[in-house]
Amino acid sequence: MLTVVKNQIKVSFYSFKYSLMREMINKTTFLSNIIFMILNDATLIIQWLVLFSLVDEVGGYGMREVLIMWGLTANIYGISRLFFKSAYNLSNTINTGKLDAYLVQPKNVLISYITSSVSVSAIGDIIFGYIMLFLFGFSFSNLLIFSLLSIVGATIDVSISIIYGSLAFWLSRSDRVASTANDMIIYFSNHPEGIFSNFIKVILYSIIPVGIMIYMPVRIITQGKTLLIIFSLISAVLFCWLAYKIFQRGLRRYSSSSLMISRI
Amino acid sequence: MRKYYYIFKANIMSNLQYIFNIMISFINYFILIFIYLNVWQYIYSDPSKLIYHYSVQQMVWYVIITEMLWFATSGRILCQNISNDVRSGNIAYNMNKPYSYIGYVLANHLGEILVSGLLYGTAGLIMGLILLGGIPTLSLAYIPFILIVIIFSVIINTMLITVVGLISFWIEDSSPFYWLYSKLLLVFGVFFPIEFFPKYLQGFLQYSPVYVTIYGPAKLFVDFSYVNLFKIISVQTLYLVIAYLGCQYMYERGVRKLNVNGG
Repeated sequence: MLTVVKNQIKVSFYSFKYSLMREMINKTTFLSNIIFMILNDATLIIQWLVLFSLVDEVGGYGMREVLIMWGLTANIYGISRLFFKSAYNLSNTINTGKLDAYLVQPKNVLISYITSSVSVSAIGDIIFGYIMLFLFGFSFSNLLIFSLLSIVGATIDVSISIIYGSLAFWLSRSDRVASTANDMIIYFSNHPEGIFSNFIKVILYSIIPVGIMIYMPVRIITQGKTLLIIFSLISAVLFCWLAYKIFQRGLRRYSSSSLMISRI
Repeated sequence: MRKYYYIFKANIMSNLQYIFNIMISFINYFILIFIYLNVWQYIYSDPSKLIYHYSVQQMVWYVIITEMLWFATSGRILCQNISNDVRSGNIAYNMNKPYSYIGYVLANHLGEILVSGLLYGTAGLIMGLILLGGIPTLSLAYIPFILIVIIFSVIINTMLITVVGLISFWIEDSSPFYWLYSKLLLVFGVFFPIEFFPKYLQGFLQYSPVYVTIYGPAKLFVDFSYVNLFKIISVQTLYLVIAYLGCQYMYERGVRKLNVNGG
């Protein structure tokens, strides 16, 4: 069992390494993708500077909370897209029958697929996330908690993407549903929970779990509610398990399109 | 001009086949408006409050119009298409055709966004009427002027995005430049009117793409005045010329660097 896990990690690591090396062939494009993503993320801070010039707090968040919210959002987005970019294209892959290439490999289909491509600009998001942490107040414990919660958030984000992407096993035009769900996570992640009604909050802690990915970690870091980390970890494990089960169940319904493709 | 008209028309016909897809993308539009409705209702704790002469109703209408322009223009797709044309060498097929590549790109994209623009416009108006009850200080007589400004704004934005897309001749992938361009429009125009920014920035923003592509149409919609109309159309005319010359310059310079492998 341990050898199987070890081998899978090794294969995923090589897949990531070679995908990244492929992206680095054109160094100008590689660097401009990273630098411009940092600038791109930074521009949205202006929105909050304007809002805080009008009021002292928005939905219970001051500038410190916004910095952490923004940092976590960028870091979660960055980690999930850097290592598991393909998870966000799952429904399209299923619809076009391109999953065939992963079925014939003697490794786990889901893990092999989601680690098959990288997003270079996501490196810029991760760098930006840590810049936000630095502006919030850098300490070793903050760095540790921030990194842990980012990984937990990214795990939930990828799991949600797999769950919605797997709908394509049952529904033929579900790619739009999956991309809308991913977009909704991004939209809500950038706004404090205090501005929403209780009904919306229920949605944000369940089917669009931005509350668990972002709002709860903001509370952990800014208010020191470290016990909530356990709840975050349990949620991440549950979402992972659910995503894996749904994908495996759907995979039984998958039928090849006999599409001939080569993976280089 | 007839050939560009046919390209434009062909794309409208093609897009009419995908109305369902466009309507699904309304969900994102609705959600963003819903989020901004919550943000502004929180900030305007007292509904009679005015911030920089804008009421809460005007602010939400402003965002409805700016987001509508933002979604309908689909700039990311245009920029990606130009980048792909250059990277894949597909542009070579357009170069030897009896039309200008710039004209082709503009006609193609404007045809593509016309249907979605009309649908987003209708959806935005319905949503605004349901959420806010009415349109502030808008008379029917102003609508033709606002429509002209909207058409100009979409054409200018399309041309400016084309300029950004043509950067692909030099660095293959122009997407990072588009991110920056789009975020500047988003932050300085879509979220807030330019009156919300410090005075020194306002002077600059009044002559920036934000003013002609996003702020202008939305400002006229929520607070129409003939003085503003004249000013916005003047700056838009100037931008039409600058953006067109920019497209031509970038294309002519870039195409000299093009190196396509046969196959």
